[in-house]
Amino acid sequence: MRELTGAIQETAERLLRDKEVELVVGFAAGSLPLRNTPCFIRRPHEAQNLVWGYGCENNLAVFLRRRPEKLAVVAKGCDSRSIVELIKENQINREKLVIIGVPCRGMIDRRKVNRLLAGKELLEAEVNDGQVRLKGRDFQETVLLEQLLHDSCLTCPHPNPVLYDILLGEPVPAKGADSRSKAGEVDWEAKAPAEKRAYLFAELSRCIRCYACRQACPMCFCEECFADCSVPEWLSRSSLNVQDNVFFQAVRVIHLAGRCVDCGACDRACPMGINLHVLTSKMTKDVQEVFGYTAGVSLEEKPPLAAPISLT
Amino acid sequence: MKNPYVPAPVKLVRHVVETDDNLIHSFTFQFLKEEDEKAFVYRPGQFAEVCVFGKGESPFGMASSPTEPGILKFSVARVGVVTSALHEMPEGSILGVRGPLGNSYPLEEFKGKNLVIIGGGFAFTTLRSLTTYILHPDNRGDFGELTVIYGARNPGLLLYKDELAGWEKRSDINLICTIDAPADGWQKKVGFVPAVTKEVAPSSADAYAVVCGPPVMIRFTIPVLEELGFPPERIILSLENRMKCGIGMCGRCNVGNKFVCKDGPVFSKAQLNKLPPEY
Amino acid sequence: MLLLNKDQITSWLNKLIPAYQVFAPVKEGDYFCFQQIRSGEQAVLNYTNSRIPPKEILFPRSEKLFCYRCETGGVQLTEQVDESKKVVVGVRPCDAKSFLLLDKVFNGDQYVDPYYLTRRNNTVLVGLGCNQPAATCFCTSLSGGPFSAEGLDLLFVDIGDQYLVEVVTERGKELLSGMELPVAGQEAQEAARAVKESAVCSTLVDLGGLKYRLDVNFDDPIWALLAEKCLGCAACTYTCPTCHCFDIVDEAAGKEGCRIRNWDACMFPLFTLHGSGHNPRPTGKERFRQRIMHKFKYFVDNYGTIACVGCGRCILSCPVNLDIRQVIEQISQAGGDQQ
Repeated sequence: MRELTGAIQETAERLLRDKEVELVVGFAAGSLPLRNTPCFIRRPHEAQNLVWGYGCENNLAVFLRRRPEKLAVVAKGCDSRSIVELIKENQINREKLVIIGVPCRGMIDRRKVNRLLAGKELLEAEVNDGQVRLKGRDFQETVLLEQLLHDSCLTCPHPNPVLYDILLGEPVPAKGADSRSKAGEVDWEAKAPAEKRAYLFAELSRCIRCYACRQACPMCFCEECFADCSVPEWLSRSSLNVQDNVFFQAVRVIHLAGRCVDCGACDRACPMGINLHVLTSKMTKDVQEVFGYTAGVSLEEKPPLAAPISLT
Repeated sequence: MKNPYVPAPVKLVRHVVETDDNLIHSFTFQFLKEEDEKAFVYRPGQFAEVCVFGKGESPFGMASSPTEPGILKFSVARVGVVTSALHEMPEGSILGVRGPLGNSYPLEEFKGKNLVIIGGGFAFTTLRSLTTYILHPDNRGDFGELTVIYGARNPGLLLYKDELAGWEKRSDINLICTIDAPADGWQKKVGFVPAVTKEVAPSSADAYAVVCGPPVMIRFTIPVLEELGFPPERIILSLENRMKCGIGMCGRCNVGNKFVCKDGPVFSKAQLNKLPPEY
Repeated sequence: MLLLNKDQITSWLNKLIPAYQVFAPVKEGDYFCFQQIRSGEQAVLNYTNSRIPPKEILFPRSEKLFCYRCETGGVQLTEQVDESKKVVVGVRPCDAKSFLLLDKVFNGDQYVDPYYLTRRNNTVLVGLGCNQPAATCFCTSLSGGPFSAEGLDLLFVDIGDQYLVEVVTERGKELLSGMELPVAGQEAQEAARAVKESAVCSTLVDLGGLKYRLDVNFDDPIWALLAEKCLGCAACTYTCPTCHCFDIVDEAAGKEGCRIRNWDACMFPLFTLHGSGHNPRPTGKERFRQRIMHKFKYFVDNYGTIACVGCGRCILSCPVNLDIRQVIEQISQAGGDQQ
């Protein structure tokens, strides 16, 4: 991690100094343990604020749409895949984007940390050799990193950037399909329809309609989201209407079919800890099975649900 | 505890198409309950939330004047859910009105002063209220000279055409109507409101200017007024930020630390100069 | 000051439940929230704080203002003011203070919001002091404190197996009637004093120069930079105990419907969008500035106090770790260069 941080800083500094780009979007140290925060660097000497860690959990592609300036982005596997889809959807001009690819070992799920600590407050954490040392006021625990990674990271088929201009660090091995069981995920497929419904209703009963999921998603960029549309008004504005909370997520996820790379950004953004990954992982799996399509791995391959365009 | 969210039921007694493009309709309401009518004491420049049951409510400035008792009149452009529904309402329909809300034109300050009322397009509504109020025999003596400059894109888009014709015949009001481009049969002024204001050059001596219109008209009219010598304290504007509650609680209409719904919608240019330009 | 054994809590709550709607912290998913409890056992008092503040008890995410039925020649309106008596147990002092701030908005000189105020007048607040403020807590920077009784009716101080109960108001005292609680002795009072002394807010936010900056920095380029990573969601506002913006909509079918108020947020573009398409706060920059200005300037201008209680919820819930403590610091510091 330290080497990657250094390499990112050097690369960003050089790109800015040589005026190859005006802006570098990456991560800085966050204000909470195990947390990094998106940052925007415009001056070469500020590149030293850039870091790499296990809290680089946001999908930075969300900041790249329709930007006027030439810029660089620090991209892990999932970010790079979203970038690929956004290029195909004409939201990103490839000519104006320098992708600094960073192989990703997964990001830490602070909700898993909290569950493990059962109410004790985490004040400090350190990751070393696959182990995470967690420290609080009157405790210290060491846990396997694997136990704390996001479910979406545990099953990530593309931890290495698929599209980049500069690749930093050594590629990491991709997770196999068998890793799914390790993730301790909700076994969606095994549920009966009534159980699926009950599960979604229970999860989305906590939804407060803050739309953090939508805002955190690089692919949710409709000029007017159907959830905000008033003519017609597709759904109730009340978050106490759980049926419509479910409806909102269902439509959102379906709208992402063939575009979502299952990065988990929506799931992580949710302040209420609603399991959205269960929906995005099911949807991406279905898209794979039905259309043989994996979003974000190829600039050439056409998205399965794109309308055929005849040029003649 | 009076509930400020509950509308008084009103009956739509008159629904007319106001402009040739069918975009603006005028609605005249009567209260169903006498106590509601009594409680609704308003002044020119105030607004109310008009509700179409089942669709929601929207704020509109009263186009009627307190000198026209028994009725409330609003002129409404079709823009969204509520206004579209309103445009479909037949006479006899039951709707809701809650208010009056907001401040009003500063009638006390206006007393004894000359008034220059400048309006553009369909923002003439509360200016009609103000003009009608001033022209009422009980009030006319309280105010000095009255000049009204009113412009629209074309003759068909002027509101209250019959009343304008009536005002033109009166000697106690100087009405100047203008349209943006020449049109068949139009004998009056042609030109944008700011240019016509400059040409008419109403005296700023002992005078207030009241300006309502589209943002671009306001932006170009204010320098003309300043040139004519109107100080910012005597240039009066009415803002139109998006509102919901109308009582300073829902948080969306504020301009700096002022709520357009509660502290406004009427502000002097001097007051606005102290606020950020978020309107 | 009285003493209440922790093992009496359940029976005490059970005694209140028939007479009041009793709300208490309950675990929901990974977080705590205030919920109406049916049995005293449901209440969990060894918690840090709820994800959604207890403001939602008095100002729900969504509530009916009135319902109506359109009839020939008229309309039948039924107001939906909730007059039930409520007790909220386990309120943290920061959240208790937030109600005093919300009072300023909903109980104004000119208008009164009957929905909030009726609930407010019928609700008794039982506070729980914070023996161990979280690292994200900064109530002491906003003239609050981990054991501040401001706005509360009773304040519980956890001294081990017992709570030392500070009776703040008559309403609070009534809640304890029939319990015949012993008066706290020297030892218990000493224990409470020790607990209070060891409860330190490690985070201090310097608000000294902020208002002066906000009075003049509306056009400062810093706003664009501060807002750059903001995603424009409402996680901060909906988890904020003092945010009170709302929308009013109709939900209807046929001749019947209700007027409903839902939480809304200054972070959404639609919040201020005019019918004409013009938006006075068109981008994230203006909207983020509004949120900060509202809390730290406009509210101060209008009510003489900052609309933040330092609960730290927005810090924990922001999906991009946009930390309000750092925002305050950066704004204040940006002034330093120019002075």
